[in-house]
Amino acid sequence: MSGRVNMRPTNKNALLKVVILGDGGVGKSCLMNRFVSNHFDEHSFHTIGVEFLNKDIEIDNESYTLQIWDTAGQERFKTLRTPFYRGSDICMLTYAIDDKSSFRNMNMWKNEFLYYADIKENSSFPFIVVGNKSDVSIEEREVSQLELETWCNENGIASCIETSAKNASNVQEAFKMAVQHWLRAESRADRTECTYSDTVDLSKKQSDVRNSCCAGATDD
Amino acid sequence: MSSEDAFWKTISDKLKRQKSVVEKAHERKLQEVDGSFFERFGSILHERSESEKKRDLQNHVRATKASVRFLPRAFLHQDYEDSQPPQEADSEPEPEIELNEEEIDNQIIITNVNKEFSSSADSEQDEKDDSHYYSGMNLDELYLEVLYQIHHNVGCDVTFELGETALLSYVQDAFKMSNEKHNQLLTAAQEREPPELLLNVEVIEAKDLIAKDSNGLSDPFVTLYLQSNSSRRYNSSVKMETLNPVWEEHFALPVMNESCDDILYIEVWDFDPAETMREKFGKILKVKGLRGATRLIKEMAITATMGQHENELIGIAKIPLKTIPSSGMLMWYSLDRKYKMARQGVIKLHLSFGSEKNCQVAAQEHRHLLNLLLLHELETSQIGPYEWDGKFGSQAEAIIMQHKIQSGLCPTEIDFVQWAAYTFVQKEHPLSFGLYLKLLTKISKHLCAPSRNEESVKIFWTFTKKLLPSCIGLIRKVRKRPHDKKTAEQIADVLNILLQLMCLQQPFDSDLFPTNLYPWLISYEEEKPRSISNVLNAAVVKGGKDWLQFILERTEKQDNSVDETLVYFHKVVQIVRSDLQRAVEYDKMFQRIMNLEYAKTLYNLYQLEISNLIEDELISICKSLKTFAYDWNCLSQSDSNDHMSLGTRLFELYLALQRFVCLGTTLSGDDDFRIRNCHTWFQGGVEQWLDIAVVRAMQRIEKAVELDDLSPIDESVKYSSSALDTLTIFHQIKIFWDQLNWPDIESSYSFVAKIIDDLCRCCLFYADKMATRVDGMGDITDNYERRFEVTKEWCLAINNIDYVCQSLKPFTEELQLNSLIQQLAEIRNPLEAERCNDTLQNVLENALDTIQNKIVELLETVAMKMSPAMKKLLIEGAEILHQDSNSIHRVMRYLDNNLATLYEELNEDNFNRILDIIWGNLGNILYDLIHSNIDKRRPPAFFSNLKATLQLMVKSFKHTDETTDSEVLAKIEWLLTVNGMETNELIHQVHIERWRDQLELKSSPYGELTVRLQFLNNDLKVEIINARNLIPMDSNGFCDSFVRVCLLPEEKFTNISKPRTQTHTKNLFPLYDETFTLNLTSGQRNLPDGLVVFCVKDRDFLGMSNQFIGEAFVHLKDIPDTTANIKTLSQVHLFLSRPSNLTTDCITALENRQGDKLAKEFLKRLKQKSSGSPIS
Repeated sequence: MSGRVNMRPTNKNALLKVVILGDGGVGKSCLMNRFVSNHFDEHSFHTIGVEFLNKDIEIDNESYTLQIWDTAGQERFKTLRTPFYRGSDICMLTYAIDDKSSFRNMNMWKNEFLYYADIKENSSFPFIVVGNKSDVSIEEREVSQLELETWCNENGIASCIETSAKNASNVQEAFKMAVQHWLRAESRADRTECTYSDTVDLSKKQSDVRNSCCAGATDD
Repeated sequence: MSSEDAFWKTISDKLKRQKSVVEKAHERKLQEVDGSFFERFGSILHERSESEKKRDLQNHVRATKASVRFLPRAFLHQDYEDSQPPQEADSEPEPEIELNEEEIDNQIIITNVNKEFSSSADSEQDEKDDSHYYSGMNLDELYLEVLYQIHHNVGCDVTFELGETALLSYVQDAFKMSNEKHNQLLTAAQEREPPELLLNVEVIEAKDLIAKDSNGLSDPFVTLYLQSNSSRRYNSSVKMETLNPVWEEHFALPVMNESCDDILYIEVWDFDPAETMREKFGKILKVKGLRGATRLIKEMAITATMGQHENELIGIAKIPLKTIPSSGMLMWYSLDRKYKMARQGVIKLHLSFGSEKNCQVAAQEHRHLLNLLLLHELETSQIGPYEWDGKFGSQAEAIIMQHKIQSGLCPTEIDFVQWAAYTFVQKEHPLSFGLYLKLLTKISKHLCAPSRNEESVKIFWTFTKKLLPSCIGLIRKVRKRPHDKKTAEQIADVLNILLQLMCLQQPFDSDLFPTNLYPWLISYEEEKPRSISNVLNAAVVKGGKDWLQFILERTEKQDNSVDETLVYFHKVVQIVRSDLQRAVEYDKMFQRIMNLEYAKTLYNLYQLEISNLIEDELISICKSLKTFAYDWNCLSQSDSNDHMSLGTRLFELYLALQRFVCLGTTLSGDDDFRIRNCHTWFQGGVEQWLDIAVVRAMQRIEKAVELDDLSPIDESVKYSSSALDTLTIFHQIKIFWDQLNWPDIESSYSFVAKIIDDLCRCCLFYADKMATRVDGMGDITDNYERRFEVTKEWCLAINNIDYVCQSLKPFTEELQLNSLIQQLAEIRNPLEAERCNDTLQNVLENALDTIQNKIVELLETVAMKMSPAMKKLLIEGAEILHQDSNSIHRVMRYLDNNLATLYEELNEDNFNRILDIIWGNLGNILYDLIHSNIDKRRPPAFFSNLKATLQLMVKSFKHTDETTDSEVLAKIEWLLTVNGMETNELIHQVHIERWRDQLELKSSPYGELTVRLQFLNNDLKVEIINARNLIPMDSNGFCDSFVRVCLLPEEKFTNISKPRTQTHTKNLFPLYDETFTLNLTSGQRNLPDGLVVFCVKDRDFLGMSNQFIGEAFVHLKDIPDTTANIKTLSQVHLFLSRPSNLTTDCITALENRQGDKLAKEFLKRLKQKSSGSPIS
């Protein structure tokens, strides 16, 4: 604790809770690890219940802190993960493009999420669909881009993307897309009362002051 | 750990103190928000389970005591009487537990239900007795016999105490005889001739006889006779050469009834054979076998007493028949001899009366008599069932005794008769099992003896069958018995009876457990033989099942609501558990005596039944909990109190089940029963609860903040009630979690993560609420101004958040993350456990960061709120033209006051933080001030005033000189310095900067100048030697250069000439070689920032507008003060330069002095120099 004293904490960003859902083995943990630490482990374990990591991300010159909850896909962990759905800002539905059944299960995941997160107006909730393992060969691919888009349209989900945690393609983009999607949903929903909005405002003020200060120091 | 312990201790201390003070009302108000939601699940639940545990412990102690009490008895049936339990050795009062009302209610429910069960009608009609053994003996005959026996009383004990008349009236009563009949039969009895009575004497042994023979031994034998009939003598065998002979021989002496004063003579003689030793031995050798020898010796003895031989008397014992009790006696008598005082030895005799009678008839008579008297006894003495232990009233005792004696029944026969008589009544009038056990112990000896009578064995088993239903019934219906010591004793007795029966060889031809008596056995274990142990087992199971069935039927739900269902389940579990507890008390007896795992058997049964009953419904209830939705965004009081009590019931049930399982686990060890996983039934419920808990917590936090008066709880701390209230909530959640004692590790991990996340959320929520609460505080508006003063409330709010935040980490330690992770590592693997740990730590760190940010945010808010006042005061202070100390002090006082408050109230960390923030803000304010006021063209005094203030503040702020933003500070200070200078000072400052810049040059496009300089006293000698590589100024590629020497600042050297050299035309390398001497005053010479400037110019064709080539500066302090010849000094090479940077702070400041002629002039020239344009 004492080490922190006097240090002015830096992350005064908006906090966004992101939940990653999807069948076991589609690479949720890998996505998170790639995104957060740019690290890929071929032999990763099953997640027990949930895992949690933080990551700052900048979009349109605005900083956000993503609190990413990576969940266990196995059915036997169902009771361990569902408590964490509540209070999510973004839900990332994942499947593996070489696994048709994981794609089909997304309906189930979506419903599970809506149920446990207690979302009422489900249409406006920012879901993003991520098809992972885009590194597999064409022969191995079982879900086409078209299928993905069709599914998203049917389910009223605006954002989808294919990624590869293995070769780091589109991972950053996926999360960025998620936040942008959230921003849009947020402005649409026009929620007035939100605990986080204060934080955003203050940080804005703060950075304004900083900017003028810095400008003054260098321009003269 | 210890520091955390201390931490929690302080919290709990504070809590206590808070309670002890007036704050109870406060607490109540808080709890009203949600109906003591957290207390219900935390401490109240905890307390309740604690007292449950206490009670368990007590029960356990009681059970142990009980088993200790019963065991010796169970094992030592040989001397059953001796091992009567040390009565009430444990009579010390057992510590009473204080039960709260609800518990008492529960207890009452359980007791009541059990009571009802006890009184409930037996489901099956009690076994019909079809084997009627009563072979209709004529009651009159029996009565006559009894009357006759009373009349001819035998023995010493009865007649003296109980008159014949009393006995007669007693039997009349017992036989329920009419007076007439009585008299008639009495007369008949009196008319009958007196009975022939026999005195049975057993000569057992003698000891310490005196020696009569030369070898120091005797050859004793016994002669016995009655005084009234001394001619009829009975002799025992002779025991050769011993002083301690053992005879064990029986004699029956006929007694004349009228001679009650008769005396029995016992004489011990030393046998002295007439024959020589050889003769004697010869005779013995002829005899075959031991029996022959005995007979021979007997013969010899008889002849001896007839006086044919000189036998010697050892001693005589005289026993009056009056002294012999009718029940018989065993006694040592001393042997005396006339004229001899010394004891001749002692002899042991067994004396009793008997009669000659048909044994079978007598036994039957006796049985009927026993039955009659027993029923009468039970009727008159009002002894409860299962209590009569074989003791008749004295009259009955006398009559029975008389009958025994006069009928000549032997003890063995009497035992069998008693067994028959007592077991016969067992069905209608249960007697003490102890009595049966005692009897059985005696009988089993007879049964095992080789001499047993097959007829009586058969009778024994016939009657045993009458006893067994009652034994098995006790086990089966033990729940109908009061839960006390007596019942336990009965069980022990029954088990011992069963054990003894099991040890006996059971008859093959009779079924011990016929189906008509044990109809319930049909459904049970059909395939197993109906052995005693199997039936016992079946009885245990059946008993448990029946009882449970009854409980389930009896404990009805009032309706089918979820709430009612949970209450119902809870009640059932409680009742079952209390029964299991009772079973545990009996368990040891069952195990040790009958080798039956009683409690385990029951547990197995119950757990299955309970699982079947509860599991599915419970899971669906937990699922349905979700349906009571609550609005996350609307935390206002919602009406979910119903659901909350639902939750309470749910967890009460959970805890009850856990206790049940816990009890069962101690019994069943590692056996995997279905109920072991009962926690999974609640999983959904726990999740829901945690969700609800967050909402509740937030509601309560909101209320706590609202109620908080923002004053410290006591002098020792710097936080107020809401912080403590918030922690209390956390604490309750923790207790709740402890209570749950969730058995599954993986889901524990998930729950803990959830709890931590939730608590963090609550912390944040608290921080927000706290911030809102204090917002607007400290704003002071009076007639003159609006300003903000830091208030204690603000500080407390910050402290509160900080306190809650700091408590988070120790709090999570309390959740025992470490052991959780360790267990995870064991069941999964260390790597995954590590990742889980990381996740938990991440969640926590993340929360702490966020809350820290919140605190900083709040600190910044405070600092921000201070800014306007500070700004205003700073301006006011700077504007006052004649700077007096007051104006500066007003700023300082404002700062001082507020910082003092902050310092006083905030903890060190936060104080330092806010100091930093305020300082940063101050910088920003000053910066803004400078810029806006430069624009406003404030006079230099304004800035210099500000600067003075700044320096004062720096002094007071920075006790440490290490600052994070010193650059900014220096910058501000510099700006203030610059803008605070007079114009000529500023101009010189520009020159000084030019000199500094020149020192940095490595080369110059304008050329170099070589000079020598020297101070000789106050005279400055300047030798200008040459210039090199001058920049071509003219179209012909050359310069027509000259050098002018000036001293700066100009206004200080107005009296000094400005000499110049000759012009050297068309030369880029002119050799000037001129020396000037300038006479300075010592004041001028010692000016701190005096400069010599060499200005090299290109002489214009007309001499009107010389072009500026470049200039070079030398600082006066760099000029050597020497008397040496200037030629001997080293040459100084100076790079020529032009002003290049026209945007320095000084120049900007000059430019801002638009009205200043001097400044304007200077700037104009500077720009000319810079561009190299002609200088006028």
